[in-house]
Order: sequence, then structure tokens, then C-alpha cells
Amino acid sequence: MSTVTTLTLISLAMTEEIIRSYAELTDDFNPIHVDPEFAAKTPMGRPIAHGTLSLCLVWQCLQRNLGAQALAGLDLQVRFIKPVYIGDLVTAGGQPSEVAPDQYDIWVRGQDGSDRIVGTVSLDAARHTEQGGMA
Amino acid sequence: MSAAPILFEDFQPGALMGERVEVYDTAQAQRWQAIFGGQPEDGANGAAEGASMAVVNMMRAYLHAVAPRPPGNVHARQQLRMHGLPQCGESIRVTVHCTHKEMRRERRYVDLRVHGTGRDGRALFDGVISLIWAA
Repeated sequence: MSTVTTLTLISLAMTEEIIRSYAELTDDFNPIHVDPEFAAKTPMGRPIAHGTLSLCLVWQCLQRNLGAQALAGLDLQVRFIKPVYIGDLVTAGGQPSEVAPDQYDIWVRGQDGSDRIVGTVSLDAARHTEQGGMA
Repeated sequence: MSAAPILFEDFQPGALMGERVEVYDTAQAQRWQAIFGGQPEDGANGAAEGASMAVVNMMRAYLHAVAPRPPGNVHARQQLRMHGLPQCGESIRVTVHCTHKEMRRERRYVDLRVHGTGRDGRALFDGVISLIWAA
């Protein structure tokens, strides 16, 4: 379906203001995102960005590389494997999967190169529908 | 007096947790663009914004349907099959079901299936939000 070999990177510097603004957008004021005192008492240690905030970078990355139409019919599966903190510079990217055609391995990484989100996007939604549901 | 939060033990796999109608409106679009950029190459008023708004309103629906929640829940995984992108001004009806829960490595995992439809019932997305429940 696609001839794109690597996905051009999209980055965002995470700030408290961005997290607060995204909390207002989603109405998600979970204190693990917006309350430093609460977050300090959790294994995270300090406030973390919403996982779906960083996921927006993946959508931008996909549109920029694969075109708008690609986003209108896809399967996405991701794991939020490490938190994103205030001050992190997160970058979304990906490359074609080596195991499945029309599938991309996607990721969001921090400035230290560590994966924060990993997963796959399949552009062949019809095939998955025929197989009968999500994994 | 505030209601008691929904605890892990309260989830019943198979149960409908709620239904919510959210509107992808200009205020949401402007807030998204303030974070991610307002140019066409950023996905503003385009596919990246639309996909983001599907997720934003999926999350808003979950947060209103499953409430009150204990503080500190963590979004661990996300599956999403996108059938179509919402348009600015479109109402999005989202149903939320609990499909699974289990204890794993002393963590409380809860899966919520979300189904989103837009104008005239057109299919927008199906997904599974996998959470680590705090209590």
C-alpha cells in the first residue's frame, strides 16, 4: 500500500502548560498528571503526561508521511511503556514492519532514546475486519 | 457527599458502563492546535487533528461513563480501529463496556471496550482502553 521506507520524525517538548491544556481538552485531571504532591507518592515520582497526548504525535507523523487518507482506516495497537515527564522532548517515528505487509512499527521516544510508546499501525483495516475482531 | 469511587472489584466484564455524546467543536480544535500547531502540515483541521479528536472524545466518554474513579489510574495499552475520522462540529456517541479484568503481578488490569459513532450513526472507531486501576 505504501512506499514510505521510514517515517519522518515529529517532536514535542513536554511542558506543564501542555499537560494542563491537554487535561482540559480531555477533561482528564487525574492527579498523576496534574498534582505534583500526589504524583510524588506514586511509583512515577512526579507528574506524567497523558499517554494519549504523546499519541497525537503519532497521528501527525502518520499524516505527514502517509497522507491524510491513511488515518481514516487503520488499526493501531500501542503500549505506553514508560512515562513522559515535564521537560522531556518526545519524538514520534516508525518504519515498515519486517513481519507484516502494510504495517508500520511505530514509537514515541524520549530525548535519551528510550521508548515511551511502542506499537504497530496496520493500514489494511479491511483484512482485520475479515479476521473477526481485535486481538 | 461525593460517591465512592469505582473499585477494581466493582467491574463486571460484559457490563455496559455507560454511553456519552461528545462534540468535536471549534473550542476543542483550537485547544488541540494550541498544543500541536495550527498549520496544515501539523494536521490542523485535517486528519491528524481528526484522529486525535476521536481519541480525545473516546477518553472524555470513558472518564464520564466510569466515574468517580480512584486517583492514579494509568493508561497501559490502547487498541484502536479507525473506521472514519470525525469532522469538526460532529457529535460522537461513545459506548463503554467492561470486557475484562485481571490481577497480574499485583496490578489490577481493566479492559474497557469503546465504540464510537458519528453523524447518522456512521462508524468512527472501535477500541480497547487497557488500564492499571489504582484501587
